[in-house]
Amino acid sequence: MTNEQILSAIREANLTYLMLAQNLIRQDKAEALFRLGMSEESATMIAALSPAQIFKIASGNMLLCRFRMDDEIVWNLLSNHTAAKVDNDSTTRLHASILMAGRFAEAL
Amino acid sequence: MATKSVLNDSKQVARAVALINLGARLQVLESETDLSYERLLRLYKEVAGRSPSKGQLPFSTEWFLTWQPNIHASLFQNIYQYLTKVSALEDIDAIMKAYKLYTEQIAACGVEPLLSITRAWRLVKFIDNSMLSMTTCSKCGGHFVSEAYENSRNFECGLCSPPARAGKGAASGGILLH
Repeated sequence: MTNEQILSAIREANLTYLMLAQNLIRQDKAEALFRLGMSEESATMIAALSPAQIFKIASGNMLLCRFRMDDEIVWNLLSNHTAAKVDNDSTTRLHASILMAGRFAEAL
Repeated sequence: MATKSVLNDSKQVARAVALINLGARLQVLESETDLSYERLLRLYKEVAGRSPSKGQLPFSTEWFLTWQPNIHASLFQNIYQYLTKVSALEDIDAIMKAYKLYTEQIAACGVEPLLSITRAWRLVKFIDNSMLSMTTCSKCGGHFVSEAYENSRNFECGLCSPPARAGKGAASGGILLH
């Protein structure tokens, strides 16, 4: 990947993310806060962005959306790396969603 | 009633219709809307196309503590608490939204939804009244529905330490261990 390609890939991802976020927030704010895992203030700001603003914010060398499972337990459950008592794929995913739904500290 | 607000009335009807569509029992509607029993009954028949089920609601807290229902209930309750923490919703609206997100997530995991909207509503009431509570699992740190005064020091959830017979049932659409 050349530098040029990296930058355009990041812009693409940012654009998709912001547009999706905006759609979700405008459709149902409470639900969107859960799906996106962001605070109400950020959601209000994103919902108010104009297309030109979105385009401007999206270009840059940083991704705007952040990784959501930054702890080992959830990550292991999702990627099925450790052999546990439960090794059914959909059950470990269910376990991971319970853990992730319980984390709202980032969204406050 | 001269002061009755038409706008509020339509809001109540819309909420009742949404609840009926989710499969709620009549008792839930009676408790969560201001509409009269007769109107609710008519509305129910109109929306669902049949008479509402009769009889009492399941009232025991035991069901939520058995292995499979506990996992479903815990997922729902975590979503519900997330929604009420991050935004100011009325309780019943939060329950409906959480229920929708719960069924969505459960379907994504390829499991049949065990929890009905009526059960979900009961669960929230039980926790509000401290008849059940949420306890943190000492292994994975997740929050799970438990008895009201569970000792959190040694508490392990049904997914970290499944009981011996768990997941052995032949029924399809259930939670499996292997």
